[in-house]
Amino acid sequence: MAVATLPHGAVYDEHEGVDQLYVETRALRLQGFLLFLVSDCVLFSSFIFAYLYMRNSGQGWPPPGINRLDVAFASLNSVILFGSGATMHYALENWKHNNFGKYALFMISTIILGAMFLSGQAYEYTNLYFKEHVSWSGSGIFGASFFTLTGMHGFHVSVGVVYLIILFLQSIHGVYSKDKYFGLTAGTLYWHFVDVIWVVLFSIFYLI
Amino acid sequence: MHLDIATIERTIAIVGGIVVAIVSAIALKNDWKTPGMDNQVFKIMLGLLALGAVIAILAGVGVLGNFPTKAA
Repeated sequence: MAVATLPHGAVYDEHEGVDQLYVETRALRLQGFLLFLVSDCVLFSSFIFAYLYMRNSGQGWPPPGINRLDVAFASLNSVILFGSGATMHYALENWKHNNFGKYALFMISTIILGAMFLSGQAYEYTNLYFKEHVSWSGSGIFGASFFTLTGMHGFHVSVGVVYLIILFLQSIHGVYSKDKYFGLTAGTLYWHFVDVIWVVLFSIFYLI
Repeated sequence: MHLDIATIERTIAIVGGIVVAIVSAIALKNDWKTPGMDNQVFKIMLGLLALGAVIAILAGVGVLGNFPTKAA
């Protein structure tokens, strides 16, 4: 039986398979993933504070000639994204409790709701560009900050949807087990993160 | 009651927001005593998710973000 010593005192036991390695390195992987989310949080924070600074240093907001954003539609789209956060949480819970049927149902719901949110955002962009004539480069600070921040968030959601599809396919093909599912935990953390970022963006662009 | 697109959107947002807020609060309550760093982060995220749902409800009923259509 081959036993190898790994960094941080972790031991890979060939007889036991990769589970021992998984147990020993899970905390490190979790810390790494949380650091990634913190770095993403810093990225969003810098853009958000730049937006708030510019917004408060100019004349009225939005600038003259630009209408207020559509709060009713944004509320609906926000609830769709927040709902996907709840379904993702229950997908992970059902995986932990070995209930694959409900896991699949909640996971597919999350992917569909994520795609619906992106469709809603595409609809809003189209509406703003063609009806309101608001664009990234032609509407001053308002257009630039709105499209940069919501676009960056939309990019994260797009990546998240692809990520969740890959996780779902992996779980179907037996990559994860009841005791070994760090990928699903990371996916849930990432999805909650994009939800929480949207709480802030929704509030600063539509409600204040 | 005048039923236009905005009213329908607001109604769905309010109903959906109530459902999401309740479901998030229940998930938070169920996970409250679970240990581990990932679960601590999940609790924060669920709390913020419930807050987001409440904000969406308030926006739906017009308490928040209730501005005139045209900019001044």
